[in-house]
Parts: sequence; C-alpha cells; structure tokens
Amino acid sequence: MLVRLRSLLLSCWLGCCAVSTVQAANVVIVSSERSPAYAQAAQALVSELERSGGSRHDMLLLTTTELAGAANLRPKLFVALGVQAAQALAQAALPAPVLCALLPRSSFERVLRSSGRKASSQFSALYLDQPLSRQLDLIQLALPEAHRIGVLWGQESQAQASALNALAQARGLRLLAASVEQDEKLFPALKAVLQDADVLLALADPQVFNSSSIQNILLTSFRAKVPLVAFSPAYVQAGALLALHVTPEQIGQQAATLAAAVLQGKALSATPLYSQDFTVAVNEHVARSLGLMLDAAALRTRLLRAEAAP
Amino acid sequence: MRNKQLPFNPSLWGAALLLLASVHLAIAQTPEPRPAVATHASALSEADYLMEMPIVLSVSRLPQRLDETPGAVTILDRDMIRLSGARDVADLLRLVPGFQTSSSFETGAPMAGYHGGFDSYSNRLQVLVDGRSVYSPYFIGSVGPGLQTVALADIERIEVLRGSNSAAYGARALLGVINIVTRHTLDTLGLQATLGAGENGIRDGQARIGWGQPDASYRLTVDRRGDDGLAGSNGHNRVSRVNLRADLRLVAGDEIGLRAGGLDIEFGKGIAGMIDNALRDAAFRSGYAQLDWRRVLNADEDLAFAYSHSQERYDDSFMYLGPVRNSAGRPVMGKALFDASGRSSSDAVSVQHMVRLNSNLRVVWGGEFRHEGVASQGLYNTDSTFVTEFSRLFGNAEWRAARDLIVNAGLMLEHSSVSGAGVSPRLMLNWHVADAQTLRVGVSRALRPPSTFESFSDVRFYSTEGVAQGVSILASGSARPEGLLVRELGYLGAFPKLALDLDVRLFHEQFDGFLRQKNDTRPADYVNGENLGIQGLEYQMKWRAWQGAQLIFNQAFTAISSTDEGATWAAPKRASSITFFQKFPGGLDLSLMHQNSSELTPQGGGIDSRRPISRTDMRLGFPLRFGSNRGELAMVVQNLGSPYTDYRKTFSFERRAFVTLQLEN
Repeated sequence: MLVRLRSLLLSCWLGCCAVSTVQAANVVIVSSERSPAYAQAAQALVSELERSGGSRHDMLLLTTTELAGAANLRPKLFVALGVQAAQALAQAALPAPVLCALLPRSSFERVLRSSGRKASSQFSALYLDQPLSRQLDLIQLALPEAHRIGVLWGQESQAQASALNALAQARGLRLLAASVEQDEKLFPALKAVLQDADVLLALADPQVFNSSSIQNILLTSFRAKVPLVAFSPAYVQAGALLALHVTPEQIGQQAATLAAAVLQGKALSATPLYSQDFTVAVNEHVARSLGLMLDAAALRTRLLRAEAAP
Repeated sequence: MRNKQLPFNPSLWGAALLLLASVHLAIAQTPEPRPAVATHASALSEADYLMEMPIVLSVSRLPQRLDETPGAVTILDRDMIRLSGARDVADLLRLVPGFQTSSSFETGAPMAGYHGGFDSYSNRLQVLVDGRSVYSPYFIGSVGPGLQTVALADIERIEVLRGSNSAAYGARALLGVINIVTRHTLDTLGLQATLGAGENGIRDGQARIGWGQPDASYRLTVDRRGDDGLAGSNGHNRVSRVNLRADLRLVAGDEIGLRAGGLDIEFGKGIAGMIDNALRDAAFRSGYAQLDWRRVLNADEDLAFAYSHSQERYDDSFMYLGPVRNSAGRPVMGKALFDASGRSSSDAVSVQHMVRLNSNLRVVWGGEFRHEGVASQGLYNTDSTFVTEFSRLFGNAEWRAARDLIVNAGLMLEHSSVSGAGVSPRLMLNWHVADAQTLRVGVSRALRPPSTFESFSDVRFYSTEGVAQGVSILASGSARPEGLLVRELGYLGAFPKLALDLDVRLFHEQFDGFLRQKNDTRPADYVNGENLGIQGLEYQMKWRAWQGAQLIFNQAFTAISSTDEGATWAAPKRASSITFFQKFPGGLDLSLMHQNSSELTPQGGGIDSRRPISRTDMRLGFPLRFGSNRGELAMVVQNLGSPYTDYRKTFSFERRAFVTLQLEN
C-alpha cells in the first residue's frame, strides 16, 4: 500500500516535471505503463541518479503515449521501461542512445527484429530475466541432491534449449525436457518430465507458465514431490519452492549506474547485460513440508560470492 | 420382515449426476482470471515476470512433515502397494507395525486392528477415504467394509497414524487413523485395466477410465475381486465396486470434488454342521456420495466444506433346524429364523478453517454434524430406526515454539445424542534434537461412545410357529463411553549417509471402562469392564541398502494387562516382519515379505483360539512396454510356507499363487 502511494506521488511529481522542464532533461525515462512495477523501477533510477550527483530536473518521465506528443527532446540517454516503451523508441529516430530495461531478453530480441536494429552502444538492454547459468547455480546451491532438471519448453523459450543443455552438461546435470507445442499438450509433457525429474525449472513462456496453468503445474509437481524453481516472486507466493528474479528497484538501480556512465560521456555497452544484482525468494512453508531448510538471503549471498570469485 | 431395497438410492445418483452437470456448466461459463498486468496473447514480455499468480499451495495443501506430526505415521505409497502383491487394504496393513489382520469374511469383510483384536469387529480405529469417515455404523463401527471402499489401483497412498487421534478425528480415532487417499483424477487419465487369476479361485478384474482436462477431470473405476476364502470356511467371496470421482476447478481459488460409489460384498459364512451358525450366503452393500468444496481465502487461509451421505444394507439370515420350544414350553424339533439383516445410513456435514496466523503458528478448527440411523428387526427387535447424532467442534494448533520445537495441541468437543458430551484433548511435543533426529513426547485422552448395537441390541429368536425362543444379546443400555489415556514417546531418525530411516514408538494406552460384550451370562450384554492397559514398543527400520533395494524391518512388542486371559493375547507379545524390494536392471521387481507373530487370539476368539502366525510372500513383476502403452505382468505367491490359522481354529490361510496383468495407456 505504502509502495503504491509512493509510486503514485512520484508519478505525479514526475508528471509535473514533464510540463515544466521538457527541454532541460538529460535522461528521458519512457515507461510502458504507469503501474507500480514501472513506477518502482523509475523511482529507483531517479533516486540512484540523484545520489550520484544528478538533479531531478535532469530527468523526465513519460509514458509511451506521452512520448509521441513530446517535442524537442534532447537528452543524453533514453531509458525504456518495458517492451512497449522499447518498441516505441526503436521505431523513432532518436538523437541519443537508448537503454531498454525491465524487459526479458527474448522481448528485446523481438524488438530488434521488428525494428531492423542491432544491439549496439546506441540501442542496448538491461534484461529482466536471469542468466541460465545463475539459475543452474542456484539449483545446485539450494538442492545439491537434484541432478535431473525438468524443463518444459514453449515456442518462445525453446530457443534457449541448446544453451541450457550445454550449461547443464558442464555442471554434471541432466536435463529432462519436453516440448509443449499446443496448450493441450502441457499436461502430458509435465507428467512425463515429472516422472524422473528431481526439480522442475520454470523458464518464462506464456504458453507454458501462465495464471491459468500454474494451478495444475504446482499441484501436479507437488504431488510428485518435485519442487518448482521459478522466475518471479508471484510464483513463490503461489507455491513454487524458489524463485530467482530481479526486482524493479534493482533494475532501476542498475539502470541508473549505466545512465550515470553515459552522462559522464562513456558509451553504453554494445552487448546487452543481465542484471548484476538479483533476489532469491523462498516459500518457507513449501520448503518445510519438503523437509528443506532454505535461507533466501544466504543463498543470494553465496551466489553473489560465487559470481564475484575469479 | 426383510425390507428389499435397492442398495443405492437411485435419486442419490441422480442428484450427484445433476450436480456434476451443473458444476461443469458453471466452469464453462467462468472466465479465466485476468493477469494484473496486461499481457500480449502469446509473446513473452515483462508481464510474465511481474504479474500476480493465484495461491495454489495454500495452507491446507501443505501437509505436516512426518517428523512434525503429533504421532507415529506409516505411509504405504503406490509403489509399496503394488510391490506388496496385496489384494486388499486389510492385507496391506500387515506391513504396519502393531497391526493384526485377518482375511476372513465371517464378519462381512477382512478386518484390521491395532494393538489387539478384542472382538469380532475392530471399532477403535477411524478409517477415512478422501476425508470421508467410512466406519460401519451397522457393524458396531467396524473398519472392515470401509477398508474395501475403493480399488487398490485407485489408491495414491495410505497414511496410518498409529496412536490416538480423537482430538482431530473424533471418537473412532481412539487408537489410530487409517487415511486412504485416492489418486487425483489428473493422474489417472486414459484407460487402465488389471486381470488376476490363480489358486484358491482367485479371479480379479479391474478397469478404469479417466478423462477431462485440468479444469474438470473425471475417473470411473469398476472392479471385482473374488476367491474361495480361507480353507475350512464357507468361502466364495466376491467384492464388487464402482467408484466415480470428479475434480473441478471453478475459479482460481475454488475447487470442487465429487465422489460417488457403491460396494457389494457377497460372501459365504457359517460352519457346516453348526445349527446356530449354518452355512449360508450373506451380502453387504453400501453406497455413498460426497461433495467437497475448498476455497483459498488468501496465502494463509483456506476454507473447506464437505458433505457426504452413506448407506449400508446387510442381508444375512438362515433357518435354524433343531430343538425349539413349542407354545407349551416343551422342547420339540422345529425351525427358527436367524436374521441379522438390516440397514444403516449416515449423513455428515463439516466445515474447516485453516489459518496460518504467522510463520510459527498454524491452526485448523471447525465443526461437524453427523447423523446416523441404524435399523434391524433381527438385531434390535423393532422396526424402528435408532438415530444417533454427533456434534463436534475441534481445533488443532501447530506451534513452532522454537526453531527445533513443535507443539501440537488439539481439542475435540463431541456431543452424542445418545451418550452425552465428552472432551478429547491432546498435547504432543516434537523436538528436533539434531539434524534429522526427532524426539516426540505426548499425552492424549480420548473417548469412544458406545455404538448403536452396544447400547440397544436386543437379539431374540422366534420359532416359525411364532414362539419366543430366547434372547441372545440384550444391551441393558448401561454402557457408557470408554475412555483412553495414551502416553507416548517417539523417535524419528534419518541417517542419509547410511540410507537408513528409523521410527520408534514407545506407548502406554490405558483404557478406563473398556467396553466389551459380557457373554458369560445369557443374554449377553455390553458393559464397561476393567481398566485394560496396553503397553509396548514398536519400530520400523527402512534401509535402502544398495541400488534399487529397499529393506523394511518392523517389530512390535505388546503387553496387554487384562483379567480376561483371552484378551491378554489379543495382540502378539512379539510380531516381526521383514520386507525386501529389489529393482533389477531392465525393471524387474522382486519382493520378498516375511511375517512372524508369536501367539495371539484372533478377533476375540478366546484363549483356546491362540495361535502363532508365520507367512512368507513373494512377488515378481515384469514391466511391459509397447509403444506408448505400459503395463506389468506379475506373479505372486502368498504364504509360501505351511497354512496358518486365521480367524477361527478350523480356518486356515493356504498358499495362494496367482498372476496379474496390468495394462495402461
């Protein structure tokens, strides 16, 4: 509630700025929507830039629809929050580089394809999804006994199959994968995978994981005593054992670091980036009933430490 | 006098089907929940990472861990059921420490008791099938027919809680609970069938069809098992069943379960040459319908509502041919009708609220109302229906008092319209002394009110001329609830490096006014007798000795203190069983089971019926696979050794070898 209120106040404030300081802004943040997640990311971005010496008057927040009506924008950087904003900026001829944030890798790649662009220091991204290697590392840390990783591929996530296979092999893990080509195939595929899997790794794909399929996926995997490792805290609330995700605030903070570098005259990374920071969420009730003791904060620290190691 | 009625009320079935149809219609009209953030129809976007999800594994879905439950729990899972080669649940319970079982149908169905078979009917255990209480009101609360409710192939697992659980399940859970959980309909989609045949006239068949999609799935199973029973008995037992289950999801947080079924047990009973227990055919029939509705209120709160209706009918009569008194009181040769036929029905409605108040406190509380009616001219000397109504209020709290200490406290307030009110409290502490090492200590008090038969029986006989011949059982109505105080100490240890699990229970069960039939005078009566005590130790050791192997070793040492010598042998002083499962490369399954009990008196058979039991079973299962179809061909030999006495001195369990073929797509 408090977060929502703060987000609302921030939106109002940023809205006021939009009227008064159109031309002065150095960073233009374009949000796909005004909903809380985007506002939280924007708020974190603004606060972090302020902390590194920027002024609120240097920043302008617009929605995708407001962008169309805005004229004479001469910022040093555009930050797109969400796929819709990224799409809108990709279509425009812009005087400054664009950092697309708060969107998953495959959405960014779809924007690139549809706009005929290539990732470059003029059009780069900070992904919302987590690198596959980090997801496997988390599984190995939290469930050291789990060697057989079940995966359900949808049309969109299928593209990651070979990469995940290679990463799993390198770690001595076995992938048990099934493809879900049509919605009605989901259930048989799930059952086939659960038969031998020690853990089910959920990779975002609306064809497989959505609010209507999650009930059956969670219940069936729970009956099979196979924990689900997911990609958002909502899944953990619903009943997944673990989730590895990055919060909108963390995205905002890292986007601010990248933006600050651009403001200091450095170029954006031509290679899109995964967020350095992340969050581990644990459903302690599910963990307890599976006989597991998991500490979300400790898992995050261990993952961060492992990644920092040379 | 006998009332010919259909075993299942057709209107009941009609209502169930109508309900099913209307719910299905409701589902078709229920829109899918909208995500909190609008999402593109099929393309991935940030919405997939940011949207809200319905709560699925809500508070009631997450069972307690075995080392945190307020009692000792033995789980017989689907694999174990298959590998055991057992043909019914009663036979399976041999694998649970502290249980005595019989394969006899003399009392309507095979029986299972915990810590002693004191009477013909085992009535100090609660049996639940998917949450529905299935003890038999007609048979003095017997567990026998209830254990036959569903086909083995439909059972997901059987959780046996060894130890009083009246605080959660009411009067019948005096000594423990047998909780049968059937498979979810989504796990049994498609076709499946089993055939079995072998020695002792074994002819078993079962077929199942499962259909539907995740929002609405269904299963229909029919099965029949038959054999010639125990050697020396008037065998030819046939158990026929039909069970329907539907699982429906209305909206994200609401679920409906519908179940209906019928059971038909036809069996031969009686003893050749015994004029007051003549050879005859008898039949027990029951039917039920059950509606469950569960609503997830939020991440920490669920509400569950259940309604069920069950009915039973028993047909058992024979003509006595022998000396009778004529109207002048003189003994003459004549006839008298012995008739134990009758019927019963029960209706139960319950509401449960499960709430997690904080991460350390979980509470389940609720109420139940149960209406039972029993009628039998032969057993009660009246056409009237004896009605007993139970009102129950219960609450159970699971409190994590410290990181390693779980306190389970429960209380049941129960009111019976016949025997008044009673309180059953329970307190159990589970202390995780070290990683995977748990000590459990607790005390509980339970009450079992007398059943209809124990309160009102009036069994008398008339010659065919209508002359009263005498009264064999006449309940004076003086029976009051029997009390039980249980003190127990448990230990649960897991040794992952050794692949070993250990479960130990040390118990002292003290009855207060043990309720039994007093049959040293005529007519027999039900009275609260001595303060019988049962104490002992039982343990189970599971060892996954090597790849594909599982070794289960059970032992139970039981001492019963009673003034009745027969009763002191109601449970064996020592019972051991060893079970070995091995999966070989290629999928071949070998099972070897050996059970050895010191002497015991079966089902109240008296001191003269005392005998030991030794039985060895073997099973070989060959997996079959052709295309997407799977199956198994298995050969089972029950009791490889010499016959052992079961139920009655003259009955014995002889070797039974049979083959089963199971196919599913």
